[in-house]
Amino acid sequence: MNLSKLESILKGRNSQPHQLIEVLQDVQESYGYIPEEAMREISKTLGVPLIEVYRVASFYKAFKLKPTGKYVITICNGTACHVRGAQLLLDQAMGQLGIKPGDVTDDGMFSIEHVNCLGACALGPIASGNGSFLHHMTPAKLRKFIETIRHEETEEVNNAKASHERRPGGHRETASPR
Amino acid sequence: MLHYVSVNIDGAIIKAPKGSSVLEVAIEYGICIPHLCHVPGLSDIGACRLCIVENITDGRSQVTTSCTLKVQEGMVIRTNTDRIKRLRHNIAELLVAEAPNSRAIQDIAVRCGVKKVRYPFRNSNCVLCGRCVRACAEIWHANALGFVGRGKNRHVERPLNMREEFCKQCDYCVQLCPMTITPCDGPMKPGEEYLCGKCESQLMITEEVPDSCAWCRLGEGFNCGRYAGVKAVR
Amino acid sequence: MPKLATKEDLEVIGKQLLLDRKKINKTIIVCGGTGCKASHSQDVIEAINQELTTQEMDSSVHLRMTGCHGFCEQGPIAVIEPGNIFYCHITPEDAHDIVTRTLQNGEVIERLLYTDPVSGRKIRTESEIPFYLAQDRQLLSHNREVNPCSIEDYIAVGGYTALAKAINSLSPEEIIHEIKVSGLRGRGGGGFPTGRKWAECSEASSDEKYVICNADEGDPGAYMDRCVLEGNPHLVIEGMMIGAYAVGATKGYIYVRNEYPLAVKHARFAVQQARKLGLLGENILGSSFSFDVDVARGGGAFVCGESTALMASLEGKVGEPRPKDVHTVVDGLWHKPTTLNNVETWANVPSIILNGANWFASKGTKGSKGTKILSLTGRIKNTGLVEVAMGTPIRDVVFNIGGGATDGKAIKAVQTGGPSGGCLPVDKFDLPVDFDVLYEAGSMIGSGGMVVMDESSCMVDVAKYFLTFLQDESCGMCVPCRLGIDRMLEIITDITEGRGTLEQLDLIEELADTVTQTSLCGLGKTAANPVLSTLRYFREEYEAHINNKECPAGVCKALIEYSIDPEKCTGCGRCTLACIHGAISGEKKEPHVINPELCQKCGICRSECKHEAIQVR
Repeated sequence: MNLSKLESILKGRNSQPHQLIEVLQDVQESYGYIPEEAMREISKTLGVPLIEVYRVASFYKAFKLKPTGKYVITICNGTACHVRGAQLLLDQAMGQLGIKPGDVTDDGMFSIEHVNCLGACALGPIASGNGSFLHHMTPAKLRKFIETIRHEETEEVNNAKASHERRPGGHRETASPR
Repeated sequence: MLHYVSVNIDGAIIKAPKGSSVLEVAIEYGICIPHLCHVPGLSDIGACRLCIVENITDGRSQVTTSCTLKVQEGMVIRTNTDRIKRLRHNIAELLVAEAPNSRAIQDIAVRCGVKKVRYPFRNSNCVLCGRCVRACAEIWHANALGFVGRGKNRHVERPLNMREEFCKQCDYCVQLCPMTITPCDGPMKPGEEYLCGKCESQLMITEEVPDSCAWCRLGEGFNCGRYAGVKAVR
Repeated sequence: MPKLATKEDLEVIGKQLLLDRKKINKTIIVCGGTGCKASHSQDVIEAINQELTTQEMDSSVHLRMTGCHGFCEQGPIAVIEPGNIFYCHITPEDAHDIVTRTLQNGEVIERLLYTDPVSGRKIRTESEIPFYLAQDRQLLSHNREVNPCSIEDYIAVGGYTALAKAINSLSPEEIIHEIKVSGLRGRGGGGFPTGRKWAECSEASSDEKYVICNADEGDPGAYMDRCVLEGNPHLVIEGMMIGAYAVGATKGYIYVRNEYPLAVKHARFAVQQARKLGLLGENILGSSFSFDVDVARGGGAFVCGESTALMASLEGKVGEPRPKDVHTVVDGLWHKPTTLNNVETWANVPSIILNGANWFASKGTKGSKGTKILSLTGRIKNTGLVEVAMGTPIRDVVFNIGGGATDGKAIKAVQTGGPSGGCLPVDKFDLPVDFDVLYEAGSMIGSGGMVVMDESSCMVDVAKYFLTFLQDESCGMCVPCRLGIDRMLEIITDITEGRGTLEQLDLIEELADTVTQTSLCGLGKTAANPVLSTLRYFREEYEAHINNKECPAGVCKALIEYSIDPEKCTGCGRCTLACIHGAISGEKKEPHVINPELCQKCGICRSECKHEAIQVR
C-alpha cells in the first residue's frame, strides 16, 4: 500500500480525534477503501483507539472496508425513484452481474451500491456509473450500459495483448505467427 | 462537598446526591426499576430502555430512561404507572423473543410481567446491551472490543486481531454479559425456545410486590445494582 | 475587491456592482444545479459560452450559471432576459440558435419552449408557466439572480445588508424578539419555534457557543436543502451569522451530507470568498462581532440528521444520538450551548430582518407562518421543487402545481414528511400545508418531501419500504428502535407474503405505540408513522392482503402472478431477451409464455413490452 498519500492526509492532524471522519473521507477518496494499515496509522496519529476507528469506518456508508470494483454502479432507492421502479434496476444489475450490493464481481470489474437518495429526484429512476448520473433509467438502458462497459474493457484488454505481442522480442506463448 | 436535592419518586421524598441518576437513587432506596444495560460504576447510555419512568413537569409527563436522567430539586417521578408497566412489558417481550437463551433476560421478562411472547423466537447470542464494550473501555481502558456496523448489522466484534494486541484478560466482559448465565435447563435448541420463568423469580413477585425490591435473586444473573450492593465493579 | 471594513463599504460596493450588472442588458441564465447537471447542462453552458465568443457577443451578453430552478424534469433549463423567455430540454447543439436567433435578434425558438402537459399549449415566458405561477417563491426565486460561486452577484442584489443591519443597529435581544414574533418554525422536520430555541441558547452562559446548519437532508426524495445550499450558499451563511450574533456564538459549522459534493464545494467556496472580503473573521463590518464557519461532510448516515447524532459526527464519532434530557441549546456540541437549525430555516432569517416579523407572519396560518419549500415527486405530471405559502391546501399543490396524475391512473395518496411522516388519502387533500394540522392527521410536513402515489402503489408495500429504510439507517443502539422496527418489518413482510393474520394488525399497532413512546431519538420515535398512517387510512388494503391473500395494486410479489395475454402478444421476443431469470419462452411471432416456477416477478419484462401483453394478477 502506497503510504505517502496517507502521510499527506494525516499531516497537521496530530492528536485531533475530531478529524477522524474527515481523515477517513480523504483516505476513501485516495485509496477507494479503508485499508487496515491506514486504520492503524490513523489510530496512532489522531490518538483514537483502533476499535473507534474501525467502528466509525463501519458505521458510515461512505467508507468501504473492501476495495470496490473498477466500475461502481450506484442505484438510487429514494422514495421518488422507488415509486418509479428503482427495484427493477436493482434486480437488473444483480441479475446481470450475479452479485449483491456491496460485493464485487469475480473479475474485479463491477460492484453495486444501493443508496438512499442521490438528490436528483425529478429525474428518477437514477443509476450512476462511477459518479456520472444516468437518469430516467430502465432495465434495458442499464443492461446496455453495463454491456457497453464490458465490451470496451474486453476490447482494451485485447488491444493491449495484441500490441504487447506485436512488440519485437515480446513474449509469445505459442509459435503461431500473428 | 456533596450537594443534595429532594426528589419525589413514587410518593417517597428522597434526599439524593446531586449528579446521581434517578435509577441509582431509586435502587439505593429499594424501589425496583428493572434494567439491563446499567452497571454500577460504568457510564449509562440508555440503550435497553427498560428503566423508563415518567418524569412529571408542569402537569405533563415525559417517558424517559431513569439511568440518564440526573436528579434535580423538586423532580416528580413515577416508576410504575400502568403506562410504564405496559411499555416495559413490551420491551422485555422484544428482548426475550430475541434471546431466550439467557436466564437474566428470561428473569427480566418475568419481572416485567411477560406471560406470553407474541413474536417468533430467535436464538441470538447477543442483545447489544453494551456492558462488555463499556467495561473494556472504562475499567482498564483496553479498548479490545467494540460495536461495529449499524442498525440490524450492529454487533460486537474484536476486529483486526485486537484481542491479541489489546486484551488485558481482566474477564469483566464475560462476567458482565447477561448471555453467559444459562437457564437451569441448559441452552434451548433452535426452534424449541419457550418462556421459562421457572427459577427463583416467580411470577408472584411481580404481582405481590410490583415496585419494591424483594432481593429476588433476579438480579444475580445480571448484577442488578441493588443486588450487587454497593460493591462497585471498579 | 478590497476588504469591506464597514457597513458603508458594503453599501457602496453593492450599489456599484448593481450598476455594473445593469450595464449589460441581455442575460441568459442557465441552471447548473445537480438535476440539470445530470442532464448535462455543463455541456450546454460550455457550448453557449463558445458560441458567444465566436459571435463576439461576450461583452454584450451576460451568461449566468445558477443553482437549481426547481423544475428539474425539464432540464437543462435556460431563461433569457429581457423577455423572461423560458427554454427547456436544451442540448449543446441548440447553442448556436439560441445565441444568434434569440439573443441577437430577439426571436423566440418554438421548439425549445415548454409545453404545458395539461393544456397542450406552448408557453413562452417563465412567469406564465402554471408550475411556477401557482407557487410563492420567496426563497427559490433568488436562485436565478445569483451565480452561487460569485459573492459579487450576491452583494449586487442586496446580500449581507441584513447582516449589516443586525450587527450595527439591532441588539441580540431585538433580533430574537423579531424571530419570535415572525413565528418562524424549524424547517427541517421538527417545526420547533426558532425564536424560542435562540432565546434559550442565548440565556445559557458559556465561554463558547456554536451555531450549526443541518444540511444532512436524509429524507429520500427530498432535495430542497441541496437546492438552497448549492444555489445560494451566501444566503445560508448570512442567516447563520445573524443567528450567531443573536445567541452569542462565534463559530459555526455547515454539516453537509456526503452525497452532495456540489453543495459542499459551493459552500466551501462561498466561505472562502466571504473570508477574503472580511465578512467572516474578526470585527465584521466594523462591529464587535467576530464569527467564522467551517464546512464539514457527513459520512453517509440518515441518523446524522438528528441533532445530537450530527453533533457526535462533528466530534468525529459515530452518529449515535444522545439523550436530550438537557437540551442541546444548553449542552450540545462539545457540551457547549449550540443552536442547530436547518438550511431553509437559516435561509429565511435575512428577509425577516430586512422586511420585519410582521411581513413574514402575514403569510401562512395561525400556527405555521411564511412559506415552505416542498420536494414534489412521484406520479404526477410536473415534478420538482416548489415553494408555497403555509396553509396552501395539498390539493392545490398536487393538481395546480403538479398538474395532476400522470399516465391517466387515479391518484391514491400523498406521502409527506419522508420516513418520519405518513400517507394521506385523496379525501384529506383539502388539508393545508401546516405543521399542526398534518401532525393531527397522522403525518407531518417533515423536511418537505411530498411523494404522490397512484393506484399502482401498494400502501402495505410503501410501509414496508419505509421500515426497510429505517431498519438500515437506525443506529441500532436502543432496543425499541432496533428490535421494534425489525419486528414490525417482520409482521409487514408476513402480510405482503400472504401469511398475515388480523391479530398481527393489533400487535403491530401496539408495538408501533411502544416504539414511538420509548425510543431514544426522533428516528425511532417517528419510525412507526408510515405503518400507523397507512393502517389508519388504508386498512382495507391490509385486510385484502390478510383475508384474501390479494394485493389490490398488484405489487407484492408473493401475491401476484405474471402472465402473457396471447391475444396481445406479437411474439417479438423483447421480454425473453430482457428476462434475467430465463422464465419466458416462445417461438418468434408466436405468443410467448411465462414459466411461473422461474418467474421472480421482478417486472422487467412488463416494462419492456410494447404491446401491454404482460398482465399482473
